[in-house]
Amino acid sequence: MIKPLNLFFMGKGGVGKSTSSALYSVYLAEKGYKVLMVSLDPAHNQSDIFNKSFSDKPMKVTNAFSVIEVDQEKWIKAYLKEIQQQINRTYSYLTAFNLENYFNVIKHSPGLEEYALILAFNHIQNSFSNYDYLIFDMAPTALSLKFFNLPVLSLIWIEQLLALRQEIIKKREIITKIKLIKKEFERDKVLNKINEMKNEFQTLKNIFENNNETKIQLVLNPDQLSFAESMRIFEGLKDINIHVNQIVYNKKQMNSAGNELNKALSEIPMINFPYSETPLIGYDILMQYLKNNDNLVEKQLDRILMAS
Amino acid sequence: MHNVLKTIINKLFSAWKIADEVARDKAVETIETELEELNHIFGILVLGSFIGMPSPPMQISLDLMPLMEKELLLMLKKVDTANEPLAQLFSVFDIG
Repeated sequence: MIKPLNLFFMGKGGVGKSTSSALYSVYLAEKGYKVLMVSLDPAHNQSDIFNKSFSDKPMKVTNAFSVIEVDQEKWIKAYLKEIQQQINRTYSYLTAFNLENYFNVIKHSPGLEEYALILAFNHIQNSFSNYDYLIFDMAPTALSLKFFNLPVLSLIWIEQLLALRQEIIKKREIITKIKLIKKEFERDKVLNKINEMKNEFQTLKNIFENNNETKIQLVLNPDQLSFAESMRIFEGLKDINIHVNQIVYNKKQMNSAGNELNKALSEIPMINFPYSETPLIGYDILMQYLKNNDNLVEKQLDRILMAS
Repeated sequence: MHNVLKTIINKLFSAWKIADEVARDKAVETIETELEELNHIFGILVLGSFIGMPSPPMQISLDLMPLMEKELLLMLKKVDTANEPLAQLFSVFDIG
């Protein structure tokens, strides 16, 4: 079965990530593809754009197009509950540690936010593989970069922990051999878990790096601040071997010069979304926008999306 | 005569068994301490956030925590001996 293509929309706050991702979704749905738009931005905008309330279950806008809003809090809570239950099952001295209280604090830990997004992403990948396109409306830059960084960072730690664990197991085997003259050793659960995590993050890293599975759209506006932050996103992703596939130049004025863009960014295929006088709210208005000016926007999307 | 011989052989055998056990214990004593130290380092690396150390991405600690009761207990035990690291080291090498 062919896997859905993941399209991520990133960019500085307020440049129009939600509107751009909505335009892509409407365009693809109208072309006959099955599209699921996923809002990973904690401040969900899609309900305002489509004048409909959404939840963490896919809600249909048209037959081919559904929207889902990821509830970060819910994912963190469910994850911590699962860990706590596992601890209750396996620990015999739970009360001595007073871990229950500790868990109330853990849910506010830095790092769990992006992991909640990773959990949601995994769930969506596994549960909605019958779609042609998964369109991700991303969170603000800092959280989005952390999201893409998490597999790489986790793998660095996992490699170190794996090496240390293997040394521990080797030493333990020597002791068992000498003391008990045993030939068989019990399997180390911690090692198994570390290996399991390694596979999980390696798979995620591969998905993010693979151009046939993931495409990153960088949305920007014709202003210096947006250019500067876009450059930082571009560099940040390049450091972890993820490439920006398209620039979405949103609200471009006809007379604004494009040569202000940094050279590295100007070499990436670009789509111009001209400034719209009418607010782009509602499926029909978005569709109308694609058709305006002799199908100007649609032709660009045809050229870039269908070519790839 | 036969019985006496049997008793002597049995005694010799059990003495050898005890000596063997003691020798084996002695042989691994240092490795055991080293193992305990490694386990402790592993515990601190994974669960360092509990004692204010830099720690891996939170989900790595949390995912491993249900399997690491022993390491947590070891960390607590270490708190007791943290004041006398030299005394602990000397006792490992049987000095004094």
